[in-house]
Amino acid sequence: MVKPLQRKLWRDIRRHRAQFIAITVTIFLGVGIFGAAWDSYSNLVASYDQTAIDYRFANLTLAGGDTAAIADLASDNPGVESVETRTTADVAFRVGDTKLLGRAVGIPTGDQPTVNRLDVSAGTYPSNGDPAVVLVEDHMANHFDLVPGDTFDILVGDSWQAVTVGGVALSPEYIWPARDRQDIITTPDNFGVAFVSEELARSITGTSANEVVLYYSDGEPNDRITADLSSAARDLGATNIYTREEQPSNNALTEDVKGLEEMAIFFPMMFLAAAGLAAYVMISRLVHAQRPHIGTFLANGFTRRQVLRHYLGYGVLPGLIGSIPGAIVGVLLARTITRLYTNILSIPLTVVDFYPATLLGAIAFGVIASLLAALAPALVASRVLPAEAMRGETPSGGGRRSLLERLIPPLRRIPTAWRMTLRGVGRNPRRTIYTIIGVVLSLMLVLVSWGMIDTVQNLMDRQFVEIQQEDATVFFAGPTATEEVAALTDIDGVAAAEPALTLPVALSANGEHYETALMVLPDDTELHRFADVGGGWIDLPPEGVVLGQATRDLLDIEAGETVTMALGTGTTLNAEVAAFVDEPLGTMAYVGRSQAEALAGSALPATSALIAYEDGVDAKALRNTVTDLPQVAAFEDANVLFDLMQRFMILFYAFVGVMLVFGGAMAFALIFNSMSVNIAERTREVATLLAVGTERRSISRYITAENMLVAAMGIPLGLIAGHFAASAAMSSFNSDLFTFKLHIQPTTYLLASLAIVVVALISQIPGLRAIRRISIPKIVKERSA
Amino acid sequence: MAIEMAGVWKTFGEGHTAVHALKDVDFKGPQGELAVILGPSGSGKTTLLNLVGAIDNVTDGRIEVGGVDLASLDVDGQVRYRRENVGFVFQFFNLIPTLTALENVELVADLTADNGTDRAEDVLAKVGLADRIHHFPAQLSGGEQQRVAIARALVKQPPILLCDEPTGELDFETGRMILQLLQDISREQNQTVLLVTHNAAIGYMGDRVLKLRSGEIVDDARNATPREAGTLTW
Repeated sequence: MVKPLQRKLWRDIRRHRAQFIAITVTIFLGVGIFGAAWDSYSNLVASYDQTAIDYRFANLTLAGGDTAAIADLASDNPGVESVETRTTADVAFRVGDTKLLGRAVGIPTGDQPTVNRLDVSAGTYPSNGDPAVVLVEDHMANHFDLVPGDTFDILVGDSWQAVTVGGVALSPEYIWPARDRQDIITTPDNFGVAFVSEELARSITGTSANEVVLYYSDGEPNDRITADLSSAARDLGATNIYTREEQPSNNALTEDVKGLEEMAIFFPMMFLAAAGLAAYVMISRLVHAQRPHIGTFLANGFTRRQVLRHYLGYGVLPGLIGSIPGAIVGVLLARTITRLYTNILSIPLTVVDFYPATLLGAIAFGVIASLLAALAPALVASRVLPAEAMRGETPSGGGRRSLLERLIPPLRRIPTAWRMTLRGVGRNPRRTIYTIIGVVLSLMLVLVSWGMIDTVQNLMDRQFVEIQQEDATVFFAGPTATEEVAALTDIDGVAAAEPALTLPVALSANGEHYETALMVLPDDTELHRFADVGGGWIDLPPEGVVLGQATRDLLDIEAGETVTMALGTGTTLNAEVAAFVDEPLGTMAYVGRSQAEALAGSALPATSALIAYEDGVDAKALRNTVTDLPQVAAFEDANVLFDLMQRFMILFYAFVGVMLVFGGAMAFALIFNSMSVNIAERTREVATLLAVGTERRSISRYITAENMLVAAMGIPLGLIAGHFAASAAMSSFNSDLFTFKLHIQPTTYLLASLAIVVVALISQIPGLRAIRRISIPKIVKERSA
Repeated sequence: MAIEMAGVWKTFGEGHTAVHALKDVDFKGPQGELAVILGPSGSGKTTLLNLVGAIDNVTDGRIEVGGVDLASLDVDGQVRYRRENVGFVFQFFNLIPTLTALENVELVADLTADNGTDRAEDVLAKVGLADRIHHFPAQLSGGEQQRVAIARALVKQPPILLCDEPTGELDFETGRMILQLLQDISREQNQTVLLVTHNAAIGYMGDRVLKLRSGEIVDDARNATPREAGTLTW
């Protein structure tokens, strides 16, 4: 049987259902987002982990140097379960008319490698026999519609060699098709991977194996083994060493998943805080209005504990009603999100687990948030003095002039009704503060989401418009004389061409190492600008090396200090760090061509050319003309890359759209509750004003003004808090791959503020409509309205 | 301003749940009369006051105030009527807690066509609050708050003053003082006053005493010599 107090609880909730629904929905959203994001994160991590185990994803990759000796050394280490040597060659591919920069990765024929196994999704794994049968990596196969039996060409030496597609494969190394750590974003037109027989790979490079890949016992990371083997491998000439975590594809995906993890915490926190504030405001109002009832309960023998429990119920109930379905929906949604994500990224294995801890944790978060919100008013209720409460005497805050009136005395002479509005703001300071906090939280949510768009948009503009001045990069099949680069300008449509030489380099300083690429550019390059970390633009210095700013921390180095550069060619040089540059994508090293040639003692070739288009050029035709040149391996149009990234942004827009809707819902819930309570608390005043002849629309105006004033007070604080939250959120994504510097457009601040104003205006409509329904005779006669 | 009620019914609810708060009430109150309406709880006293104040509408019958049929007024007309003709004094004062005594009075004064803001201080002085005008309601005693409420009602110089249990929340001495104030003001300003109370002793101060029971006027008597409110006891 339902006890009377429980019945009262339900009826009270029914009576104030709009406010309680707002709280419940906010909790539902917060808990739902948590469940969805956290389980998606857990599933994706589990998917990556399981993929790493099942496909024996290398714990450590050591490139360059004496690979045979490195492999022997690794084999002797008891913590290393499998060692493979292989040949990896960056070489030109030709699929139909399209030339692209390909990567041929050597694999044993007959049996899968013991490290970095492949998932053959179509066709068969190459058997012993024809070395010209290859597996094409999934992204390339999809882009070029390659199926088993098709052929394409690989540049071997000076001639194209036809190979047959034996199958399509997924690899843990290329789930995200990154060329290298400095080239995370590629287009399938310009980069593709094929797994070729080791024999063919060696014929491409003309050398023996150039990489050693290691799989540790049970695939578990082991820092000690990594440190020991890395150090030994460096001594044996290895130039590019990276762990599974640093592996370009895995690193990019981990960064992505990290965002999900942060979202799983940040956004639900916002929602639950908002729900808590809304619940607090609502329950405080209830307790205030029900003081005579509370006095009566206590006078009739209810214990203070019973009263406490009763009013805690106003928090627990919406907490439970919001969080149980929220958690269930969130956890179910996570399964779909996980599958969508792994499907889009072609992750070989999808792990979708049920995590009871997420479900229980999500429900607990929701209930705890609303319970905490109810605690303070419930304690107030339990401490009511019965005699005083039954007399209906509610402790009334003494009126006082508003802060604005005290600061600006002329305001004391504005019409009395507007003075009332000003003072209404400070009438219930706690509620005003909570409403302001609500506005702040909403703006934080909006700015963090919107800030991501602005920042990424800015990042792209900075990288592709301000820093990279070239319209395209032409990759050569092999080292090419600078004269040939200059000859590119003879082609119609090419306005300028600059030679670039890119070499793998291992930077070392203060016992720290960082593998990247060294780019040699003309001293007076006009196709690449260098953004100083101080904010200005600099030229390539005649002496010293210019480094990406991430190396400052990675190598613990400052400008003026010396860095050791071990080039992939086997040469080791010491150079002074001339400056650090602020580049959003990648962390490169740059030197001027004159300096590089002086150090080398001879003229240096180019591995690529940066070209600028003439106005009105037909980029596609130009691409065809340039790629027809025999020495050209690939042509990367910066605009295509830019457009590709813009397309990725659609996902961001969708995400921000959802967050804006959620942020609006959250702001609505909080402001609606706060304003409803504000209006409910003054029904007697409203009725009195109506009785003495004030028009309803005038009263609506005063209340609107008061509510908007409170909302407006929250806006600047929200913009500041939102800015810092967005900055913190963006910097958490920073790595040597990406440097996110928060950039929020002024219009974003303006639109976010306007959105809050609109939400505030909308959220008080129900309260203002209630004014129309006020019964003057009833209210003016009540002891406490 | 004269008040005339003819065959006034006020019913709340419908069908078998209908409650007749007023039943066929006829009443004529001439200008300048102080009428005390007596009756127990639920007798319809406040309902009668609300109908005259146009904060509620009759179910049947007619109320004319100063020759105007209140039923003919639309919502805006009712607002204008209350603004120009009626001053309310409530049992629970109903002051705006965020406004000082003066500002509470000014708030209503601002509504008047001749902008009675300048009168606010005078009216407060008249009710004996000259030295308390900048105090907020929470800083005033119950009697003082009720005096502010009276000042608020008077500031727009309404021809009709409607007082609903104005001493209901006050102690004896303060209550008597408030009643004397109302009596003095009505005499000075020749206002029509309807004063609702359940306290029979207060009836002696009225020019006229109406007794209501179950929504009907059961007695309508005139005091030949109304007593000074300050001499009443109960």
